[in-house]
Amino acid sequence: MTGTRDPQQDGTIQAMLGDSGLESAAELRSALEQLRAVVPDAAPAPRADLAALLAAGTAGATGLAAAPDAATTTALPTVASAKNDADESLPAGVTSLAGRRGRKRRLAIVGGAVVGAMTLGAGAVAASSEDFRHSVSHTVGVIFQTPGHGTPAPEHVQPSPSSVPALPAPAATPGHGTSGTPGADQSGASTRTSSSTPGATAAGHAPPATPPAVGRDGILPTPGQRPGAPGLPGSPDLPGGGGNAGKDLPRVPGHITPTLPGAVPTKAPGQP
Amino acid sequence: MAQQLSDDELSAALAGDPSGFSAVYTVISPAVLGYFRARGVDDAEALTQDVFVDVLPKLAGVSGGHAGLRTFIFSVAHARLVDYRRRAERTPHLAEYDPLNDARYSASAEDEVLGSLGGISDTLARLNEEQREVLVLRIVADLSIEQVAGIMDKTPGAIKQLQRRGLSALRELVTEKDHAAS
Repeated sequence: MTGTRDPQQDGTIQAMLGDSGLESAAELRSALEQLRAVVPDAAPAPRADLAALLAAGTAGATGLAAAPDAATTTALPTVASAKNDADESLPAGVTSLAGRRGRKRRLAIVGGAVVGAMTLGAGAVAASSEDFRHSVSHTVGVIFQTPGHGTPAPEHVQPSPSSVPALPAPAATPGHGTSGTPGADQSGASTRTSSSTPGATAAGHAPPATPPAVGRDGILPTPGQRPGAPGLPGSPDLPGGGGNAGKDLPRVPGHITPTLPGAVPTKAPGQP
Repeated sequence: MAQQLSDDELSAALAGDPSGFSAVYTVISPAVLGYFRARGVDDAEALTQDVFVDVLPKLAGVSGGHAGLRTFIFSVAHARLVDYRRRAERTPHLAEYDPLNDARYSASAEDEVLGSLGGISDTLARLNEEQREVLVLRIVADLSIEQVAGIMDKTPGAIKQLQRRGLSALRELVTEKDHAAS
């Protein structure tokens, strides 16, 4: 192989060594010559498809399909197409669907990644803070509760004051039963005696009812003030006296009688 | 390697005429085969023939004469080598039983001497990947710096720098091996 090397190729190595300032490195030069000796002298024997390709050229035929038996089945149209798209592996008139395929899948992948990341983040926050768990469970409970259940929930806080007046309530109701209108008293007695929750609604209405009661007591300010609640049992007596009070009467027992249990029990223990 | 393409064969091949294919294959395929061998490909001949099956039908679009033809063919060969490396990373390494590689036996003194004398591929394998590619393309494929720059997608200055560093590294390896052998 040393004999076949021509001086022009030695010149290449020499130029390379000169470029790098290593002309004097004899062992490097021999290594590079070894590297050049890797190149065989003769071309390797072509395999079947390549041989067919080469044979098509030497035989003067114009076919150049890559099929193994292209020498016998050369077709002119394939020549034309192969010449036209020298840079493309696709035949003419065929468009690649690779881009479209990727686009559809990319959307699904991005969506899945976003959902997964959000799930992971929410899970991490829930795992780290207990308050978050509580607030989430609370909000979920509020959302999924029926609206009818929504109102009693805050009123369950107040049954304790309403249950306390429930005991003196029978003492107050006879007073009403004798004096007041029976329909209003029945409704008031039924609300008190039936259960705690309607009583709670009555007690719940009582505090807002007192300020209008005070305002209404503008007619009788001083007696209504301190014994405001006892003055109201006296209000059934008013229909006999006051004409404009008679208009209030059907309303007053319905609205203000609930205030009675709140005030009466304080008086009832005080009187005996 | 010593052969050169005649102008008629070159013009026929670059015109896409199949009559020039055989000449192109005869002249250039040894360099491509040597390139693959120097880079340590298992089946260098098969890869060489893959390159030419790819390249020959596409010669019609090539411009630049002799240099352009070589650059084009070695560009395809370089891409094929990269493909081969990626494929080889994914497939398990299969090797026949070689008594010389059996670590349970000690190597013979003759084999050690012969191995230290030859084996430029082993020395090259210890170089940087890009330095090795530049040296092989420059020497085995016999390409100019500008052609190598076009194939490796770098500037000629970067190729010169890689070549200089590769040569000095190779020199150190060679002298070190000489000292070890002597």
